[in-house]
Amino acid sequence: MEREEIFERLNGVFRDVFDDDSIVVTETTTAKDIEDWDSLEHINLVVAVEQEFGIKFNMGEVTTMKNVGDMVDIIISRIS
Amino acid sequence: MNLTTLTFLVFCFITILIYFVIPKKFQWVVLLISSIIFLFYDNLHISTVIQALLILIPSYIIGIQIEKNSNTKKGKIFLIAGTLIILAQLFYLKYTNLFLATFNHIFNLFKIDYQFDFVYRNSLIGISYYSLIMISYLVDIYRGTCNAQKNIFKCALFMSYFPILTSGPFIRYGSVGKELYEGHKFNYDRMVRGLVRILWGVFKILVISQRLGMFVDSVYGNLELFNFIFTFAAMIAFTLQLYTNFSGSIDVIMGISEIIGIKLPENFTLPFFSKTVTELWRNWHITLGAWLKDYIFYPLLKSDFMQKLNKKCQKRFGKKVGKKIPMYLSMLIMWIIIGAWHGGAYTFIIGSGILQFVYMFLEDTLGQISDKINKKLGIRKDVFSYKLYQVIRTFLLFSFAMIFFRASSLTNAFEIIKNIFIINLGTLMNKDALLNMITNMGLDIYDFAILFVSLIILFIMQLLARKRDVREKLLEQNIIFRWVILYILIFTIIIFGCYGAGYDATAFIYRQF
Repeated sequence: MEREEIFERLNGVFRDVFDDDSIVVTETTTAKDIEDWDSLEHINLVVAVEQEFGIKFNMGEVTTMKNVGDMVDIIISRIS
Repeated sequence: MNLTTLTFLVFCFITILIYFVIPKKFQWVVLLISSIIFLFYDNLHISTVIQALLILIPSYIIGIQIEKNSNTKKGKIFLIAGTLIILAQLFYLKYTNLFLATFNHIFNLFKIDYQFDFVYRNSLIGISYYSLIMISYLVDIYRGTCNAQKNIFKCALFMSYFPILTSGPFIRYGSVGKELYEGHKFNYDRMVRGLVRILWGVFKILVISQRLGMFVDSVYGNLELFNFIFTFAAMIAFTLQLYTNFSGSIDVIMGISEIIGIKLPENFTLPFFSKTVTELWRNWHITLGAWLKDYIFYPLLKSDFMQKLNKKCQKRFGKKVGKKIPMYLSMLIMWIIIGAWHGGAYTFIIGSGILQFVYMFLEDTLGQISDKINKKLGIRKDVFSYKLYQVIRTFLLFSFAMIFFRASSLTNAFEIIKNIFIINLGTLMNKDALLNMITNMGLDIYDFAILFVSLIILFIMQLLARKRDVREKLLEQNIIFRWVILYILIFTIIIFGCYGAGYDATAFIYRQF
């Protein structure tokens, strides 16, 4: 799966979780860029991403990923 | 050894002097020896030595075993065993009386004629800090975000690094561990920067916090003497006392570490400018919040049980409401733990736990309703007056919860609340009653003036700090101006610091945790 395609699918997940169709995520998008993305919503997002790609993040990854780029790196390492 | 005593000052001076004199390779040994001295300075006893070793040795051995068995069931078993060993001690030393009190209440309820006597546990300073620090060490090894320390003495230094034992911040092995062991060259700029921060911290503690404490102690200690205005003022004063004491201690700790060359994570970022209680807690005791988020809240919310609950709730109540239920449940559990961490008494569990959860829950649920009402009434949220209202509301809510935090018992907390809400305007007209309150409030006109000016300075500094780093700005100035300011700070502390009889000038509020 191409990196671009992953971003495309992630856009769908983010829009669904945060209920905002205008969200477009990039490599450098962080929780600061999306209003509702706080520690309360973080796990909902992580679980939704897991379901979308059929993967599991471990807790080390959940607590250390710094931006969407990091998230995509982990997704690629899991599905390839 | 308290942070603002001469003993501690000399102790730090000697530690830092030796640290920079000896070869880099051995610098960490100096920190270890100082940490051991600090740990047992007030409480050297066979039982406290055993306590320290009973955390250090299992953590050290289990850490290595977890690393060897990473990603296996065996690794997980080691992690659970290590965590349980640490928690068992923490509970035994800190929470025995809480359990006994609970049993006594239950016995009373069922009219069973038996009461447990409370027990005294001689626990080592900093147990609440180093216990959680070592749990995070083991979990991080298990999660693969750091490696196990193979040298038990280095592991001991991570567990007991002396500046953080009294008030935090919580450190993580992955980010601070390496800095503890690698040598540092003496740096003049860093020393001045550290010194400024230490002095600012001591100013907050000795000039402001201790003075506020005199007022709070006087009012809360003689509630029958004071009317609603004084009790309300004491409620506000305690929040400021707690903040200046705690953040001042953190300034001292960060300053010492900065001089040594160790960068610790920040624990406060201007909490009283927050517009919600949720935001306030993002700026108050930040490293405790981060610890609980990473090691309790996230794993709990991501657990199979919560995820199943999430699905069920979403089916039943719809996506928007459904997903909130497991979130609130996890939050409640986390806040009870935060409350209990602060102290083994119900006052803490309510004041710094359950009440904070209730605030956040209401903010989240009522926030949307109030948005709709504001829209209908045409109330603008982006104007200064509304933001000011939000900041004051948040501060008052937090201060109200802190009544429980400060109270000696739940009954005492309700007495204080009652005193605030019995608004007897007559006491304001009665000259004798007013005079009686003023003479008994623990502060004379001199103290009052110092407090007033100091709080204004603190407020201005905080306003400035929102825009820029005040310390950096000061250090950019010419050397003469810089040192004039430093000397003013030193003399202010010496002249206006509270060292009088009748109160312990260095009893740190957070130390008891």
